[in-house]
Amino acid sequence: MPDISVKLGTKLTLTNPIMTASGTFGYGDEVSDLVDVNQFGAIVTKSLSLEPRVGNPAPRIAETPSGMLNSIGLANIGLEAFLADKKPFLAALSTKVVVNIAARTEDEFITVIERLDAEDWITAYEINVSCPNVKEGGIAFGTNPVVLKKLCEALRRTTKRFLIIKLSPNVTDIAKMAQIAEDSGADAISLINTVYGAAIDIYSRKPKINTVIGGLSGPAIKPIACANIIKVFSAVSVPIIGIGGICNGEDVIEFILAGATAVQLGTVNFMNPHAVGGIIRYIENYLQQQRLGAISDIIGCFER
Amino acid sequence: MRSLINGSVLDNRQIAEDIYRATIVTPDIAGAALPGQFINVYFPDSVKIFPRPFSIAGAEGSNIQLFYKVIGSQTELMSQWKPGDPVKILGPLGNSFEIPAPGTEIVLLAGGVGAAPLLFFRDRLYESGVKPKFFLGARTQNQLLLRADTKSELTIATDDGSCGSRGLVTAVFYEFLTGIDSPLTVCACGPDPMLKALKPMLENSNLAVYVSLEKTMACGLGLCQGCIVKNAGHNSSGDYSLVCRDGPVFNLRDIDFNA
Ligand SMILES: Cc1cc2nc3c(=O)[nH]c(=O)nc-3n(C[C@H](O)[C@H](O)[C@H](O)COP(=O)(O)OP(=O)(O)OC[C@H]3O[C@@H](n4cnc5c(N)ncnc54)[C@H](O)[C@@H]3O)c2cc1C
Ligand SMILES: Cc1cc2nc3c(=O)[nH]c(=O)nc-3n(C[C@H](O)[C@H](O)[C@H](O)COP(=O)(O)O)c2cc1C
Ligand code: FES
Repeated sequence: MPDISVKLGTKLTLTNPIMTASGTFGYGDEVSDLVDVNQFGAIVTKSLSLEPRVGNPAPRIAETPSGMLNSIGLANIGLEAFLADKKPFLAALSTKVVVNIAARTEDEFITVIERLDAEDWITAYEINVSCPNVKEGGIAFGTNPVVLKKLCEALRRTTKRFLIIKLSPNVTDIAKMAQIAEDSGADAISLINTVYGAAIDIYSRKPKINTVIGGLSGPAIKPIACANIIKVFSAVSVPIIGIGGICNGEDVIEFILAGATAVQLGTVNFMNPHAVGGIIRYIENYLQQQRLGAISDIIGCFER
Repeated sequence: MRSLINGSVLDNRQIAEDIYRATIVTPDIAGAALPGQFINVYFPDSVKIFPRPFSIAGAEGSNIQLFYKVIGSQTELMSQWKPGDPVKILGPLGNSFEIPAPGTEIVLLAGGVGAAPLLFFRDRLYESGVKPKFFLGARTQNQLLLRADTKSELTIATDDGSCGSRGLVTAVFYEFLTGIDSPLTVCACGPDPMLKALKPMLENSNLAVYVSLEKTMACGLGLCQGCIVKNAGHNSSGDYSLVCRDGPVFNLRDIDFNA
């Protein structure tokens, strides 16, 4: 059997490169009767904030060609309920747990991390500085280089845990944002979060989601994600976690060739909750067919 | 217990204008299904990516039944199903209607293809020895899922009067209500305007009203948080409920339609 484990730098090894994307797999427990959650190399939980958030009003989702728009607005149960209700399930998993955090202020990020640092079942944090659907926090942290630098440095001072910064494609120069994250001590960069998108119902003349402009995800954004991975791969040396439109094993190999060390499955979980099993089998077959010993041999190895 | 399986089409035929009935062989889902629950149908389609939710309209032996109205691309694809075709489905999903305590009369109220989940409920009520009143509305006689029924006391209304009384089914239902002063449970499914028209009924404390809601769904599994309905009244465990997970059946008192 070829080796499908991946090392994210020296600090973190995953049994396989497939993770869940935040906000598309709940807290893992919703579908544990349908999907063997431990098949994933890691589970990334829904963005967590200090206090619960109810999220945006309806309508929150719309189907668009080969994709979807969402304006969920980081609805989540808050830190306290997360630890009380979700810890028993998550802590018992054999796979690794990455907690995605979204906050309105730097202080809120720090408070959440300080509390979570006491929990030994958490492997890493993914910092969401790229949500397009909230008024405060979210993307504001991820689009201004000065703000991003200050935040990343503060988070690095706060925790020794593996720190992933999740970037938005809705910026002029994503490579620069990735460099800032790396220089400020991030252990890995994940990208991309959703792409700005909108759709209008031509009969009612109303926008199809309440925020008018929301986040586009799904197969439609895969080439955008691929381009951003390529740009960031040539700009940083920390590992990249590739996200955006992955539907199958071919897509995963493509992102790894583009420069990703690991990947996340998002919208595909809605289209096919069993996607992960087929993807892992595909990767193993691909490596065998290509006479490759390990998936890590091909990271960034596309022919220029 | 939910499962994602390849069912197989046993029968699929048009039964009214734009309305089809499909019977699908799927022992696991048929065995577990409760009235009010739904299934997701998955399509090998990379343009229209959402699965489509459909109420379970009947479950007998190894088979489930769906009644669906052709309104867009995926229901158009379903209308082409042939016996033996494989169909990828997931279910049963969501909560269910509950049989009320003895002494409470139960009435079913449906508009259009909203009759689907109530047909299944009617089956189960009938099996438990109850023959419910069933008010069924449609635009014309050509769009009725049923015209006669042995398992319920059926009252029909059509907008054009081509079958039953002329006008909205809610009007006929309100007429019936004026003569009632004992506890009554109403289970309703239909277009949003019909369900909204039931709100005034809540002023009558003898009535419990349960509605089955439809919202656009991306996952049907509680993963995306897309299918929200606003909570109202004492139900304040959060500001929104998820129709796919907390519903699709809600006590009308617990939800706020106008948000
Ligand atoms: C819990 C539940 C049970 C349902 N039961 C039935 C049933 O028994 N029989 C029946 O005919 N229909 C039922 N529906 C509605 C059915 O899901 C839609 O008619 C179907 O998804 C339309 O697909 P389409 O591709 O043909 O139409 P499209 O071209 O995609 O859309 C046409 C319209 O259908 C609605 N719609 C589209 N996608 C969805 C979606 N994922 N979820 C909900 N609505 C959507 C939208 O309002 C849209 O304007 C149910 C919906 C829900 C949520
Ligand atoms: C319904 C939905 C909710 C999401 N919620 C979050 C979230 O809470 N935090 C976050 O960092 N990203 C969130 N995302 C973004 C995804 O994690 C992912 O970056 C994006 O969808 C692109 O990947 P995909 O095309 O595979 O879905 C959400 C995406 C969707 C579709
Ligand atoms: S449809 Fe995704 S949470 Fe209900």
